[in-house]
Amino acid sequence: MAVAAVHSGGIADHIHPEPQGILRRYIFSIDHKIIGIQYMITAGIFMILGGMLAEMIRVQLMRANGGFMTPDTFNTVFSIHGSTMVWLVIIPMLTGAFGNLIFPVQIGARDVAFPWLNMISFWIFPVAGLMLYSSFLMGAPTAGWTEYPPMSLQGQPGTSMWAAAIFLIGVSSTMTGINFLVTILKMRAPGMTFTRMPLFVWGQFVTAPLLMIATTALGAALAALFIQREFGVPFFDPTKGGSPLLWQHMFWFYSHPAVYIMILPAFGGISEILPTFARKPIFGYKMIAFSSCAIAILGFMVWAHHMFTSGVAPALQLPFMVLTMLIAIPTGIKIFSWVTTLFGGVLRFATPMLFATGFLATFTMGGITGVFLAAIPFDLHAHGTYFIVAHLHYVLVGGSLMGILAMLFFWYPKMTGRMMNETLGKWAFWLFFIGFNGTFLPMHWLGMWGMPRRVAVYDPQFQTWNQIASLFSFVMTLALLLVIVNVLWSMKNGKRSGHNPWGARTLEWQIPSPMPYYNFKHVPSVFSTPYDFGEPLPYRGLEEELSDSSAPLPAAH
Amino acid sequence: MHLDRGFWTATAVIVVLSLLAIVWWIVAPIQSIMPEAVNRAAQIDLLFRFLAATGSALWIAVLGYILYFALRYRRRPDQGDDAIGLQIHDNHKLELWWTLIPTLFVVALAIFSVKLFLEIEPVNAQGNTLVIEGLGHQWFYTFRYPGIHGEVKEMHLPVGQPITLHVSSYDVIHSFWIPDMRLKVDMVPGLINTFTFTPTRVGRYELICTEFCGTLHGDMRSGTSNDPAYVYIDPPYKYKAWYDATQKAQANASDAVQVASAGTVSLAGGNPAAGKALFVQKCSACHALAPFDQKIVGPGLKGVLHDPKHPTLVSGEPATPDNVAKILQNGFTGPMGMMPNQTANGLSDKDIANLVAFLNSLK
Repeated sequence: MAVAAVHSGGIADHIHPEPQGILRRYIFSIDHKIIGIQYMITAGIFMILGGMLAEMIRVQLMRANGGFMTPDTFNTVFSIHGSTMVWLVIIPMLTGAFGNLIFPVQIGARDVAFPWLNMISFWIFPVAGLMLYSSFLMGAPTAGWTEYPPMSLQGQPGTSMWAAAIFLIGVSSTMTGINFLVTILKMRAPGMTFTRMPLFVWGQFVTAPLLMIATTALGAALAALFIQREFGVPFFDPTKGGSPLLWQHMFWFYSHPAVYIMILPAFGGISEILPTFARKPIFGYKMIAFSSCAIAILGFMVWAHHMFTSGVAPALQLPFMVLTMLIAIPTGIKIFSWVTTLFGGVLRFATPMLFATGFLATFTMGGITGVFLAAIPFDLHAHGTYFIVAHLHYVLVGGSLMGILAMLFFWYPKMTGRMMNETLGKWAFWLFFIGFNGTFLPMHWLGMWGMPRRVAVYDPQFQTWNQIASLFSFVMTLALLLVIVNVLWSMKNGKRSGHNPWGARTLEWQIPSPMPYYNFKHVPSVFSTPYDFGEPLPYRGLEEELSDSSAPLPAAH
Repeated sequence: MHLDRGFWTATAVIVVLSLLAIVWWIVAPIQSIMPEAVNRAAQIDLLFRFLAATGSALWIAVLGYILYFALRYRRRPDQGDDAIGLQIHDNHKLELWWTLIPTLFVVALAIFSVKLFLEIEPVNAQGNTLVIEGLGHQWFYTFRYPGIHGEVKEMHLPVGQPITLHVSSYDVIHSFWIPDMRLKVDMVPGLINTFTFTPTRVGRYELICTEFCGTLHGDMRSGTSNDPAYVYIDPPYKYKAWYDATQKAQANASDAVQVASAGTVSLAGGNPAAGKALFVQKCSACHALAPFDQKIVGPGLKGVLHDPKHPTLVSGEPATPDNVAKILQNGFTGPMGMMPNQTANGLSDKDIANLVAFLNSLK
């Protein structure tokens, strides 16, 4: 009965009138597209702040004896840099921003399942971000984004504020996860079966349960840290029967799945961009979709690979090592399938495609060094060194951020109705690609040779390579400034894009740009996958979407 | 799907470059950049060579095909806006290969790593192993040697002598890393981590903390003004000379950890059987009746008074019945946690005598 109602358009056609006041339209909006853009702007601002902190780190490290900041300031700077980039930039960009903006349209829905919850999810995020930055006023945390006790128990008062802020971000993430999961399960257009969903939707579909389940473990860990710091309950204090390793287990039980929260949606975005610019179907659609599921499930079983030097029982370390290595299989399948997608295509290297191709090159590098680190005997040497810094930035900058930039150039016309400037875009790509590799490639050998991470001063023999890394990091910053200039400039001056400038076939490109309030005048029905270039579009019921005639919308129930 | 000559030429170039990378990682002079100072370093380097060779080959292949396809299949001027590529959806044979290649890589790597891991992991120390304890402080290291009173700041190791190293920390988590030994283990307060190795190359080595430990974390490495001490692997005669000199110098030094007052409990007439019952009731939640390194909260106490590998107690004093009684009476706070004192543990003087008699009966 319920199923029949969905398919005859009962729930899918449920609509409410568009609010007219500025407050309800642009600020406390319940429209998934506005919320997506709000997420994007907020995360963009935090990215500028996090990037400034990153450059402060690189300036400090240009000299072996530091001198730009005191060690204590340096420690707060890298701690807030990491926390910002993980929780206030990458995760909100991939789920809150691009997830909200695009996937509901791709499944033919008019909004997410719980629009009010969506609004609350968003508004928690800037509040939590401000709380995190307010910790600078009371003495910011110093123990890195991982805040291992007992170090974090010694931390300044702002460490408790950090825990509270991240806890709130977790609440927001959990609500977003629930919202997205229900939307994908319940609100797909008629005929949109799981194997007809665009791969970006698959990316969000697999990420949503990770947001829901893993984040609760983080919440428990943060609550325990807060309670110990403020009320003295000794969860992590070994002299009173607590255990510092308890935090590490709880933290990584969240933070390893969080690594996949930070990459699976980008995998999805790349899987949309590659076929569109190669003019051919994505190779191995099902393999790519199912390998995402495999990664998400395995992602819950590997957290202790962050703790190989911490003192976990050897009998436990072995399964964690082997399970971690297994993740290389689904990831390898994806990479090979994407490369195969390029074979025999008609490739157009517009800016989104450049970033997507760059993603393939750099993410593969980060994935391979990840397998290195899974091998315990090698990890015993590399753990806690700059090799880790190199690896994680290859995955999170060369992977996630590169994916975010590709998606930004790809979907910008859908948000604004205008194209971003191609010349500036290509300059930004090449500067970013060169700057990124120049910054992080030398860190591999710096770590192997003996440079530990999170140090404000270091052995003078490493100074030359650190200076090279810092110089290239300025190039990378320049590239990101070009992107920001491009975003702002194109809003007014960009070429008008029309509804489908890239000739893509997913549903969001079949409606006007920017997307109208209700997304679809009529909810379409779907009868095939969206990647068969040269065939007629696999949708029915879209005839009136692009016409100016304001066809009567179905009445509200 | 047809594969033309260009494809096979590109493949040949990629194969040659991959092979060159593999050969490079086989012959790379790792040891001349970073000496291999202990017995297992060469094996760990071999694992690294395997990882780097296969990883480089895979990366060159991915990057090579991306570049080739980007040049070969770039849209030509004569192709219109509606030109489309080959409409290939999937190809089961190729997908099988895309699964098999990473699987084979993972299986080979797993076998290699598991084998090496089992060799590296501490086996029960046997024979003539030298047991040393390493302790982390903000921001320097100290070491305890059997027969040497208190803690010393320099670590000396006799070449060729199997070593068992127990590490822990006084304050926050530190890490014990000697890059030239390819060895690292965290020093976690309240936890004893152990590993074994045999030094094989005489020399002076840098010891570095890799776990963030506060303001001067970057200075917690050998050779800084903060922690000038290095780690030395010495020829046996040199080690002996250092050991004898240090033993003499430390004998008169004050204890690193003070135990408040002298014991006043009379141990006469202690009853081991009553002590055993008390132990089960009062002590067994934190202490196992097992060797020293079998830790629950505190160390294992089997043979605490008769263990040649641990001639000193955690308090730094010689393992005698009187000194054990002092700990039971006054409590002890050290890197492994807090042992409650007589007020907190509720033991009477008679209980202490019984407990010491029981512990003394364990060999």
